[in-house]
This record gives sequence, structure tokens and C-alpha cells, in this order.
Amino acid sequence: MPLDCREVGSVSEKTGELVQGTLDMLILKTLALESMHGYGIAVRIEQMSKGVFKVNAGSLFVGLQRLQRAGLIRSEWKESENNRRAKYYSLTALGRKRLDSEARDWGRQVAAIARILEAS
Amino acid sequence: MRLFRTIAAGLRSLLQRKKAEQEIDEELSAFLDMAVEEKIKRGVNRDEALRAVRLEQGSREVSKEIVRSAGWESFVETLWQDLRFATRTLRRSPGFTVVAVLTLALGIGANTAIFTVVNGVILKPLPYPQPDRLVILLEKQLSDGTLGTVAPANFFDWREQSHSFDKMAAIDPSPDFILNGSGDPQRLTGAAVSSDFFSLLGTHMALGRDFLSEEDRPGYNRVIILSYSTWLHYFGGRSDIVGKLLTLNNSGYSVIGVLPRDFSLVSKASDFQSRNKFDLWTPLALGSPPEPWQRGTHPLSVFARLKSGITSQQAQTDLNQVAANLQRLYPADDKERGITVVPLSEHAVANVRIALFTLLAAVGMVLLMACANVANLLLTRAVTRQMEIALRVALGATRRRLVQQLLTESMVLVMLGGLLGLSSACLAVPAVLHYLPADLPRASEIAVDGRVLAFTSLISLFTGILFGLLPFLHSKQVNANESIKQNGRGMATGQSRLRSALIIGQVAVALVLLVGAGLMTKSFWMLLQVSPGFRTEHILTARLSLPPQYTNGNAFGIGQHRKISAFQRELIGRVRNIPGVQSAAFTAYLPLGGTDSSWAFDIEGRPEKPPGVYDITNYRPVSAGYFETVGIPVRRGRGFDPTDNEDSPLVVVVNESMARTYWKQQNPVGQRVRFSDQKWRTVVGVVGDVRHEGLSTKPEPEMYIPYGQIANVESHPTIVLRSLIEPTSLTSALRKTVSEVDPGVPLDQIETMKQIVFVSVGEPRFRTAVLLMFAILALFVASIGLYGVMSYLTSQRTREFGIRMAVGASRGGLLRLVLGQAAKLITIGICLGLAGAMVLARSIASILYGITPFDAAVFASASLVLAVVALLASYIPARRAASVDPIVALRYE
Repeated sequence: MPLDCREVGSVSEKTGELVQGTLDMLILKTLALESMHGYGIAVRIEQMSKGVFKVNAGSLFVGLQRLQRAGLIRSEWKESENNRRAKYYSLTALGRKRLDSEARDWGRQVAAIARILEAS
Repeated sequence: MRLFRTIAAGLRSLLQRKKAEQEIDEELSAFLDMAVEEKIKRGVNRDEALRAVRLEQGSREVSKEIVRSAGWESFVETLWQDLRFATRTLRRSPGFTVVAVLTLALGIGANTAIFTVVNGVILKPLPYPQPDRLVILLEKQLSDGTLGTVAPANFFDWREQSHSFDKMAAIDPSPDFILNGSGDPQRLTGAAVSSDFFSLLGTHMALGRDFLSEEDRPGYNRVIILSYSTWLHYFGGRSDIVGKLLTLNNSGYSVIGVLPRDFSLVSKASDFQSRNKFDLWTPLALGSPPEPWQRGTHPLSVFARLKSGITSQQAQTDLNQVAANLQRLYPADDKERGITVVPLSEHAVANVRIALFTLLAAVGMVLLMACANVANLLLTRAVTRQMEIALRVALGATRRRLVQQLLTESMVLVMLGGLLGLSSACLAVPAVLHYLPADLPRASEIAVDGRVLAFTSLISLFTGILFGLLPFLHSKQVNANESIKQNGRGMATGQSRLRSALIIGQVAVALVLLVGAGLMTKSFWMLLQVSPGFRTEHILTARLSLPPQYTNGNAFGIGQHRKISAFQRELIGRVRNIPGVQSAAFTAYLPLGGTDSSWAFDIEGRPEKPPGVYDITNYRPVSAGYFETVGIPVRRGRGFDPTDNEDSPLVVVVNESMARTYWKQQNPVGQRVRFSDQKWRTVVGVVGDVRHEGLSTKPEPEMYIPYGQIANVESHPTIVLRSLIEPTSLTSALRKTVSEVDPGVPLDQIETMKQIVFVSVGEPRFRTAVLLMFAILALFVASIGLYGVMSYLTSQRTREFGIRMAVGASRGGLLRLVLGQAAKLITIGICLGLAGAMVLARSIASILYGITPFDAAVFASASLVLAVVALLASYIPARRAASVDPIVALRYE
């Protein structure tokens, strides 16, 4: 287990806002390709980040609930690949739009921060 | 949209809690199982995999809880849980709950009732559109600053020359109308107003139309507007009333409109000579320009609406210009006269403001004491619940969660108390209205409305937080370990200090209220001891209204006074024959009756005064035998005889104040005086002073004139009977006699002198009674609180007392010990209370009569009463402590 791993979505007093927003964006991004169940999302985030982010089940489901209530994703119960009943989440049109705009914003922010850090 | 979805989803999971929970459960299980399978697939053995997943993901229950508590509905759910828990705990200790709820209901109910009155009378905006622009304009006597009503000619000039007002309108409250029709003639109270009076106030007619400006001219003013109640009462609410011709004072008037039901003319009791409920309205019909003599008589009240954006200060500056102008133009009448602008809202309630706010403050104090008592009860419970709370803390309850739960409990209490209080206040308000002083302005607007409900909710909320959090504040250093070890025994440090502070506060507040009530009561008692200067027992009075053939239809000018005095002589002759009547007489202005009139006069042989400067006296037309009938003593010379009539030499009688003011040590009898009618009148006697304005008002110079010798008939003669028997039993005989003499003369306002005196002190009686009630309530609440705390403190020290007795302390010694502790608290409370009482006394000084605000006897006796009651309340627990059996005490706990 890498030492620098960070739990995304753990309730951190200091960076709560940022972390919450980030997790939501990562979930949306994960669901952009195909519909997935909770565990799938967690694994995918971990894989894509090469193990930097580990997603806790509690935080993940809170995030899913929040996104669903905001109308960005929808869910339905389906059979999973190994014959297990699981809730599959997929993006709504609204969610897709949100993902685009957030990705753009994020890119701008990261670029800006990078410029500042390099400048010194 | 998003909010809606959130709410909908929350509601769904609230309503289908089981299903929602199952889903979360199932999803989580699936997640964890998949994680385990994944690990097994990678070749980890099953137990290892389970352990690893648990390590990575934490407890399944915790995760579930996190997901569950994320939505808003979880707050509702915990609230619901807390509510159920609170009701359960409260039901388990019914004694505590009943006492707490009743105490709160008492406090909140009393506050709601008093606030309802204050709201209706003072706080509510006046019942007109844009009420803050309405003002009253008054004439100001520059010499002494007294404010008074306005001369018609001055009103005319003010309206012409000022620039600050949208509208200015006057009301003359004096005209009366006798309605002839079917049955007995009825006397109707009338008012004559400028044609734009109602549009100035913003009132629209319920039926028909407002006055037209062309009807506001002499000769064109035979039109009337009816009040709603007159329309209902005399004309059956018939919708075809508009356009009907009525016979009033033997002339025809056509009805043009009916005022709306909720119309009321906001005014102070003393305006319009206590008659602000007008039955009908006619145009003022002031000549343009007015007659010169209309600058010397002052019957009008002037209302005005400020132009939008103009302040009353700006209007005042404007009117100062006008006043200066009039002083220059008409020195004879206006040399000493200024103009004052008073906002209508202030004008009406100026006199009752202090009294009402004192009551509101007092009732607020009662609520504070109720809070202190409930807080004390909660403190006692908190000690027994320390164990429970400590356990919760140990199990991981957060501070926020604990506060939420404790607050829920106190909110349940306060909600029950508030509801009970509100409903009893709703029931009490009609009863309170019944006991309100008759002359309270805006009394008709007193009702429980949204503002009252908001106030009640607010004080309930405040109360709940105050007493709910107090016990928690002190227990914030709850140390889970210590408390559990102690097994809930003993007392947390700081507890007894908080309790003592509460008791000291209660004693102090109770003393403030007791002193306030004491001052009011003593002042009221002094007021009742005032001799009004006349007899109050066995006197019946009734007002007669003379039809136009007597007054010649003219309210101010020359009447048919011969005809009036002939009628009076005839009537008195017959009335004296009614069995039980000892004597009878007439007067134009009854003492304490609220009406009055004054006139400028000169004394023969004194130097002439510069223009605009007058000596003014109240003048009172009375008939022969008046002084004997009402019991006003003749000090010098004689009273009036039947021979002082129209044809005999002109005479007057002065009162002692007048003799003192204008003749000093000299004997006024034999001197001559004259009014502006230029006829010399000889003073034939001096009579005792009478409190005419009110029991608390100093007597003023008065001059009595025989009815037959004065032309003024503007007031209605009041007949005064002195009887041997209960005076009210003479009413029907009097009515019959009057209609025998002239069936066209209506009779009303039939009252005994005792009733008149009773009504005249209505306002001080009301505030004294209410404050006294609050003070007794406060004393009661404080002694209950003291009893509770002393019982608790002594029960905590039972073991200590046992030891003390075992080593030889006497019962008396223990009694002294406990009482000494109580006495210390009481003494500190009384000292603080005295300081508070002085502040209160100073603020109510202006409504006290006959005593200084720092009346030593009141302060001393209030402190004594409080000390005795408080010591008694602590004596019972003290005796219980002293009579404890040492063996039992040592085994205690």
C-alpha cells in the first residue's frame, strides 16, 4: 500500500469543500464511459489514480446520494457480472454537462496554480 | 428544481424508512463483498481478505451511519427521536412536568395578555393608510406652554398660509342632534368636520359618498354621514338609507353616506370632551373668511396629513412662521399663541404609555422568574441525569447532539406551556377588556393578532433556550469518567453557586415588583382619600338634551335662556315631589364629567391689561340649590337662591382657589367682575373647591353663575338629585317626570356620583390592580423557588447533618445553620432588589399621586413582607433537616 495514499472524501475539516467537490467530479468522470456499481466506481478511481486515491465506502455512497439528489446521476438495480444484485449508476444529460464544465474549470484552476507555483 | 428533488428524495426516504435503509444496507454489503472477493481472487485467504477490507473501509455500521446521516431527513429523524424521548422522560416524572408547564403557562399567558393590550394601544400602526404622516395641530399658550384646541379663524389661516401639508381638516365635537321620529326622541352625538376630513384620514364610506367641498359652506350643510353603529342601531342597517331625509333638531338633513364598521377616530380621552364615539357627522361649514369673533373661541381639533417627505419638524418650522404672522396681525387674540405639531400616534397614547410599559416590564419580570424556577427544576433533574449524560458522552455522543436533545426537551415543555398560556390569554383578553379603564385610547383595537402570536412564539423560544441551556452551561465540564465513578452521587461544583444566583435573582425581581405594586397601591389609596369637594353618596345625575326651541339652534351664541330656566324651574319643582328625592338642581358641567369651559374676565377697579393678556376662569352655570344638593360647602356669603333669576341683579359665586388667586387676603364678597359681555356681576359668596378635572388634578379657579343670568347654553344641563334612598331606583320616576314636562327632551347618561368617581379613576385602578396581581404572583413564584432550592440543598446535606448531630449539634443549631444560609441569599437578593426598585420608582414617578417615588414605608414594608415569606418558605426544609434522625441520616445514600 503506497504511503502517500489519501482517502478521498474522508471528512476533513480543513479541505472539506474541495475534497467533496473533487470526489463528485471523479465519480462523474468515472461514470462518463459506462454505468457502474459502487464498488466498480471505487476500484476504477483507485486504478485510474494509480492507487493515490482510495475511496471509502461511506464517503462514496454519501457522494452518490448527493449527486443523485442533484439530478446528475440516476440509478437502477441490476444483476452484476457475477450474479449479484447491485445498484448501477449512470450519468444523466445534466450530469454530463456538469462534468464538462467542472473539468474545464478544474483544468483552468490547476493551470493557474501551476503557474503560480512555477513563478516563485 | 434541484431543491425540489432534494426535498422529494428526502421525503421518500423518510416515508419509506425501512426500504431506504435496506437499500443502503444491500448496497454496502455488495460493495464490501465485492471487495473481499476481489482480494480472494488475488489469492489472499478468506479471513485475511475480510480483515483487510475491514481495515480499509472501517466498520460497516459506521459507514452505514455516515450514509444515513448525510441527507437532511436524518435531522428530522433525530428530532423525531428526541421528541419521542423527551415526551417519554417527561411523562415519567409527571410532577415535574406539570409544575414546569403550569409555571411557564402562567408566565407566557400573562405576557401575552399584557402584550395584546400594549400592541393594540401603542404598537400597532394607527388604523389609517400611511399613519406616520398624520399629525395633530394644537394652539400653544406661550406663557405657560399649555396646549389647547383651536379657534376656527386660526384654523382657516393655518390652512391658507402653511405649505407642509397635503390636507388640513378640523373637527368640532360639540354639535348634538335630537332625532325625532317614531318613539322617544333620541339624543345623537354629532361632530362637524371639514369636507376633506375623511379623505385626510384615508377613510372610504361603506355606503354612499363623502362630503363635497361645496357642502362645506354655511347654508349648504344639511347633509350627514352616519357611523356604522348608528346605521345599524337606529336604521336597521337598511341599504336604502342613503338619500333618506331625517328630522334632526326639527330640521331636515339628508343622509349621504355611512362610515365603515372598523372606522374609529384615534384620540386621547381628554380630546372632544370625552366623547369620541360620534353617531353622526355634518360639514363644519366655516365661513370664508370666518367671522372675527371666531378667533376668540376655541372649539376645534385640527388634523393634518404631512406632504410626503416632510418631517413634523419641518412642518413645525413652517407653522412657526404662520404663528408669528398671526401674532402680528391679530394681537388681541393671538399675541400669546403659538402652534404645536404632534404626531397623531404620540398624541393619543401619551398619557398611558408609561403605565402600559411598566406593566409590560413587570410581566416580563414574572416570566423571568418563571424561567428561573423551571431552570432550577431542570438543574435538580440534571443532577439525577448526570449519570445518563456521562454514559452518553462515554458512548461517543457529541456535545452538539447532547445540546440538541436537552433543548428538545425544554422546547417540548415550553411549547406545552406556551400553548396553554396562549389559549388562556385568548380567553382572558375579553375579560381584561371588560376591566380596562373606560377612557383608554384605541381600546377597540385590542385583539390577539399575528403580531401577538409572533411575540408569544418569540418569548416562548427565548424562554425555552434560556432555561434549557442554563443547566447545560454549568455541566459543560461533564467528565464522563468522574461522573460514572461517582455513580451520580453528590453535586457538581458550581451547581450550588448557580442555584444561589437564581434564588438571589428571584428575590431581587420579586422585591422590585413588590415595591412597584406597593407604590402604585399607596398612590391609588392616596387618590381615593382625596376629598373631591362634593358628596358622592346618594346622588343621581342625568343629562338632558334641549331641542332647538330652547337653544335657538345655536350652540354658541345667544340662546333662549329664559325659556331654559323656565323649563328647569318647572322640572325641578316636579322632581322634588318624587318620593325619596331630597333636593334637585341643575349644572352645566358636572365635576369629573369630562366637560368644562372657561372665560376671560376682569375685576372692577384693577388696572387694564395689555392686549392678548387675560385672566381666565372656569365658569359654571348652575341653578339655585346646586351647592346644597351636591354638598359643596358655602364658606363665605351665600349660595344662589331662586330669587337670583333673569330679572334680578347679576351675581356670581367664586370658589376658594379663585378667591385665593385673585383676592389674596381680601374678601371677594361684594366685589364686581365682568366677562367679555361687559356686564358687571357682584360676587355674593365663596364656596369650597371641587376636583373638577380628576381626583389627582389640583382645583382651579371657578366662577358659578345662576342659570337664568347667563346666555351661554353650549352645554347640556345635567340634573342632579340627592336622594334618601338608593339613587338608581329613582331613574324611571325621573324619566317619567321629564317627559311630563316636555316629551321632546331626551334623557341620557344616567349615573350615580359614585359611578362617576369610580370611572374617573379607572386607569390608575386598572394598572394598580394588574401590578398588584403580578407582585403577588412574583412573591408566590419566588417562595416556591426558594422552597425548592432549600429542600434540595438540605437533602444533599442530610449525611452532613447526621454527622453534626452525632457529634452533638443541637436541633436548634441545625435550624439556625440552614435558615442562616437562606437568610444570606435573601439578604443579598433584597439589597439588589432595592437598587432595582429605585430605578423602577424613578421611572414611574410621573404616574404616582400623593407620594414620593422613594416612599420609605413602601420600600421597608415590601422588603419585610418578602423577607418573612421567603424565610417561611425556607423554614419548612430547615425544620425537616433539623429533625432528621442521625442514624437514618448516616445510612442515607
